Amino acid sequence: MTIRTITCLAACASLALVVQADPLPPDLTYRPLPTQPFSDVKRMDEAAKPQVTRRQADLLASRYDLSNRVIPGVMMSGGRKGVQGGVRVKLPEGMTWDKLASLSPEEIRQRNLLPEGFKPLPHVKQATGGQVFPQVQIDHIAKQEQRDLRRFDVDFDLPDHFTPEFPAPIFLTTHTELGDVSRGQALSIRNFYELLNGLVTPVQMEGLRLLLTPFPQEEFNQTEDRKVALQSMGVACLDCHTNFHSNAAFHLTPDVRPQAARFRLDSTSLRGMFNQQIHGSKRSLRSIEDFSEFEQRTAYFNGDHVSATRKGPNLPDRTNQVAMMAQMQNIIDFPPAPKLDWRGRLIADRATAQELAGEKIFNGKGQCAQCHVPQSAFLDHQMHDLRLERFYRTGEVRNDLVMLPDGPIKTFTLRGIKDSPPYLHDGRLLTLADTVEYFNLVLGLKLSAQEKDALTAYLLTL
Amino acid sequence: MNHTLLRGLAAASTLALAVLPALAQTGNPAGMAPGSADGRPKPPLSGNTTDQLFVKLVGMGNAGEVDAGRLADGKATNASVKAFARLMVQDHSSAGPRLAAAARPLGLAVPTEPDPDQRITRARLEGLQGAAFDSAYLQAQLIDHQKTVLLLEWEIGNGQDPGLQAFAKETLPVVMEHLRHVQELLAEVTGTGPQGLALDRDAPRRR
Repeated sequence: MTIRTITCLAACASLALVVQADPLPPDLTYRPLPTQPFSDVKRMDEAAKPQVTRRQADLLASRYDLSNRVIPGVMMSGGRKGVQGGVRVKLPEGMTWDKLASLSPEEIRQRNLLPEGFKPLPHVKQATGGQVFPQVQIDHIAKQEQRDLRRFDVDFDLPDHFTPEFPAPIFLTTHTELGDVSRGQALSIRNFYELLNGLVTPVQMEGLRLLLTPFPQEEFNQTEDRKVALQSMGVACLDCHTNFHSNAAFHLTPDVRPQAARFRLDSTSLRGMFNQQIHGSKRSLRSIEDFSEFEQRTAYFNGDHVSATRKGPNLPDRTNQVAMMAQMQNIIDFPPAPKLDWRGRLIADRATAQELAGEKIFNGKGQCAQCHVPQSAFLDHQMHDLRLERFYRTGEVRNDLVMLPDGPIKTFTLRGIKDSPPYLHDGRLLTLADTVEYFNLVLGLKLSAQEKDALTAYLLTL
Repeated sequence: MNHTLLRGLAAASTLALAVLPALAQTGNPAGMAPGSADGRPKPPLSGNTTDQLFVKLVGMGNAGEVDAGRLADGKATNASVKAFARLMVQDHSSAGPRLAAAARPLGLAVPTEPDPDQRITRARLEGLQGAAFDSAYLQAQLIDHQKTVLLLEWEIGNGQDPGLQAFAKETLPVVMEHLRHVQELLAEVTGTGPQGLALDRDAPRRR
């Protein structure tokens, strides 16, 4: 190698190291500070609200059959709400589910045939995001605590019959003999002591108190960054996870930037936490302690310690507080499943022929048990990538959500699944029959109509 | 209260009202960048820092794509890379006027020169030949398209002008398709497996 070549190579290398262009804009990662008076922001948000609401309602109506059709005789575990039935995702004109399932992903993508309801579900207002509570939770907290969870910029979008029953029943692993201990009430900072006194330890009671204590964060805080009319007293963990279940409150994933690409997240149930080894749909946090501590740190699901710090972060003490929050969550049981044995298998003489047929498909042709392992609370403690993006054009935008591949997502439990609509991490599927059609297509299962019905019947027993 | 302040307030509220319809659909007013409705004297319809920066960065990137595409059309040895370079010249040449049309109502001019990074890359590419050129061109294309995807997503989420946001929304799937194309070509040229969006395609059957 000549000296000249070496000099040239060195020059090229140093050139490559010098960044000449401006970096990409900072608010690709960081949230910009508010720059306008709160009153102006509120006025603009309120003026835009009818249009924002209509746009989301139009999207939902174009994707789904939103009618109220319960499955006769099937109730959620508290016995207060029916379970919606039937496939609700709408097919493209002239298509049938069987015809769709016979096409290759390539063909479905090229001909734009993937049902819109199978694509990621946008937040009501993607640019703002944040927590959105159903009206029942807003009313409950207003009555119990005189605390305002109502946003002036957006409302909850799904019809009430597609959300979990409210208040959800509470089952304790430490008192299985009692069944539901909720007394038909939703836990709040006002009533928790009276409701659970005598049923939990002092440690668990303190954990519960912390999980119900509101801290000003997110859209619910005291700064001009809020989306509530008055300075807010804040939000609590159990504002989304009412009675340790889910009330279908939603948010955006904390784990993705830029803002336009953050996908919607449906609140998950905390039932059966004792058997779950990874936490967060993308983060794979290794303990519920990590999760509880970190959600307080980064402002309830925003992945943003910078903004959280500005509004007043809560840094729970790991040994003295976090451990107690975790111990309370770890005694929340799944709802009873009288047809299942200790291995998570159907007890033959308690199940119908259709349910048994469904179990066979679940463990065989349907491939469900590959990840939802019956013996392990229908979990595998893994994240998997279904690669739905094979079926649609990446980068399409729906109501300001840029639809990108979801990538690996945590396996969620199927125990008590009939209590937890809507389904998938973003709540894009409204019924269990929808989930069966979804997986039939994505996994290429080619199930018959009879097999699909059997699988749905089986899921209702879990 | 003096008269200047009153006039300032009146101007600010008029301006805020004038801006309102454009914001109605998508924006998050609390997060908007300074300069949008702050009442400072400025020419009407000059846009805001987000939209201004978007037009500048995407405009430069677009010019750089055309420039690099022309170079690669002449120099690339791999026929698929050459075809891709021609596609880049074609698509980005047509994106330029669309961007200009979207930026015009805001009085924003679209830059016609590549960004500084692209100019450095161009200088480096000029010194390379054969397979080394093909591979380096594709690597640079990968980075450029990754950045462009982020910029378009940024405008969709943080931009304020509906016209520019519509441009970003309609352009993003095309840029994604370019990105996939680059990823496929990189797999072909370097001999490694496909990555990113190239995985979406049914794997070619090996004989």
